[in-house]
Amino acid sequence: MFDSVLFISSAVLVLVGSLGVLFIKENLMHACVSLLTALFGVAGLYATLGADFLAATQLVVYVGGVVILMLFGIMLTGGGTSNENKFGIEKVPGMGSVKTYIVAGVNVLVISLIVIRIMANVMKDYKAVPLPPYESTVEKLGTLLVTDHVLAFEISSILLLGALVGAAIIARPTRRTN
Amino acid sequence: MNESLISYLSQFEGHQAFVKMASEMAGTDLTSTISFMIYLAAVLAVVGVMATIGGLGTYAERKISADLQARQGPNRVGPFGLLQMLADGVKMILKEDIIPRDADKFMFVIAPLLCIVGVFGSLAVVPFSSGFILTDLNVGVFYLLGISSLVGVGIFIGGYSSNSKWSMLGGMRGASQIISYEIPVTLSIIMIVLIAGGMSFGTLISGQGGFPHQWYLFHNPFTFIGFFVYFIGALAETNRAPFDLPEAESELVSGYHTEYTGMRFAFFALAEYIEVFVVCGVAVALFLGGYKVPFDLGNGEAFSALPPIIGKNIGQFLQLGSFFTKTLALYYVVIWIRWTLPRLRVDQLMTLCWKYLTPIALFNLLMVAVWVYAFEGQSMFELFSSMGSGSSGGH
Repeated sequence: MFDSVLFISSAVLVLVGSLGVLFIKENLMHACVSLLTALFGVAGLYATLGADFLAATQLVVYVGGVVILMLFGIMLTGGGTSNENKFGIEKVPGMGSVKTYIVAGVNVLVISLIVIRIMANVMKDYKAVPLPPYESTVEKLGTLLVTDHVLAFEISSILLLGALVGAAIIARPTRRTN
Repeated sequence: MNESLISYLSQFEGHQAFVKMASEMAGTDLTSTISFMIYLAAVLAVVGVMATIGGLGTYAERKISADLQARQGPNRVGPFGLLQMLADGVKMILKEDIIPRDADKFMFVIAPLLCIVGVFGSLAVVPFSSGFILTDLNVGVFYLLGISSLVGVGIFIGGYSSNSKWSMLGGMRGASQIISYEIPVTLSIIMIVLIAGGMSFGTLISGQGGFPHQWYLFHNPFTFIGFFVYFIGALAETNRAPFDLPEAESELVSGYHTEYTGMRFAFFALAEYIEVFVVCGVAVALFLGGYKVPFDLGNGEAFSALPPIIGKNIGQFLQLGSFFTKTLALYYVVIWIRWTLPRLRVDQLMTLCWKYLTPIALFNLLMVAVWVYAFEGQSMFELFSSMGSGSSGGH
């Protein structure tokens, strides 16, 4: 019963949050808060499936980091501005040219084909089986990360180091040459 | 499943007999229903006690500050002014609930809720004693870091939605301060996780003992430094002086909650005081031995003459006493620091975090890893005692 309560509430959070992201147009901040709701719900879904470490990581990375950065970005660029120009006429933002439509259409086609192909297997062999008994994933993840997947681990650390150095260079006060 | 209140209770025959009897009377298996009821009661108790501690925190803050400044402090309402908290609460509830006309109403309303949800969510893993922990998650510390970052979002949204320059500046300062100081705090926590070999509070505390020389604080010189890094970072994360820039009253009126009145303001204040308790509790659990009682009195085996249900529970109460004593002592230190040190400037704040605390924490982490590898996880005192026994010719 606990599982279904957790699942239903998380699923409702995800649905409400994602629909909010889609349909809140007038204020980006509100859309960002509903994105927060959706990400929180995803953490709940992970917890329902017994992936405790993934759920906590979802909280730390998205709720603690990404959403705050998005809020900062929206605030500093003025997310609440209206769509009217100075003459009071509603601006419709440019939606691209024929070329972009064609590229986007091909993309949608390819991605949906892939998704359908993946989903088909799942749907055909779908059987409602009870979840396996709960066990901790932390130890296994830790062991795998420094044994089998150590290359991916190190490469992602190099990526992060690059991001850090780049941020330091951007934030550094510019040197005056003269 | 995880260790929790239920798994502690279900070791007693009385609990099992009660569940069996209730199930037979109802005709169905009531185990999960009864667990749910017990959880509900425990959660309500924890929230009630913590809200009271938060309220008493405001009282303690005034009394201690008065003491440090040679004043009297609140002394009119009730004995020693103890009921000041209730008077404040009644005042807060009766205040007019004002939402500024140009404020963003939706965000203005949810900001205090986010703060309080983040803090109350983190109470789920705070280890009050070995039996009384709501749930001992395998990712306990990590979960606590994640859920308490909601507080930062709440502070930022509160500042943004008030549509006031002071609130906005306060909110920005609060959010940037919280995400900056999360780094040294997290690195210091990882250091202890490395020694203990687990992220659940049960594992973290079981590696320590009741006496100070068994605490992780004195495990090696680097954890000793790491404790202070953690404590300074935690002060900054909870926006306490000398890092209370988000609510610096001389510059920003009162920062991100300038426009809030009544219970919404009280939620912000309550969240802050409870968060101070939580970070002090985590410091105690990580560095100061947690709920461990000297001579292993906590597991109740010393009271084996008594029936097990009484002996065990005496042990639990000793553990609760140990945890709360240490945590409230740290709480006192937090208040003491607030009324002693002047506030930092913004640039000093960021310099302290990025140029001092973060490198120190990184170095500590590295050196603790080396220590654990070189000495196989032994503490300083274990090394000294083994050296002593070696030189006395025992081998």
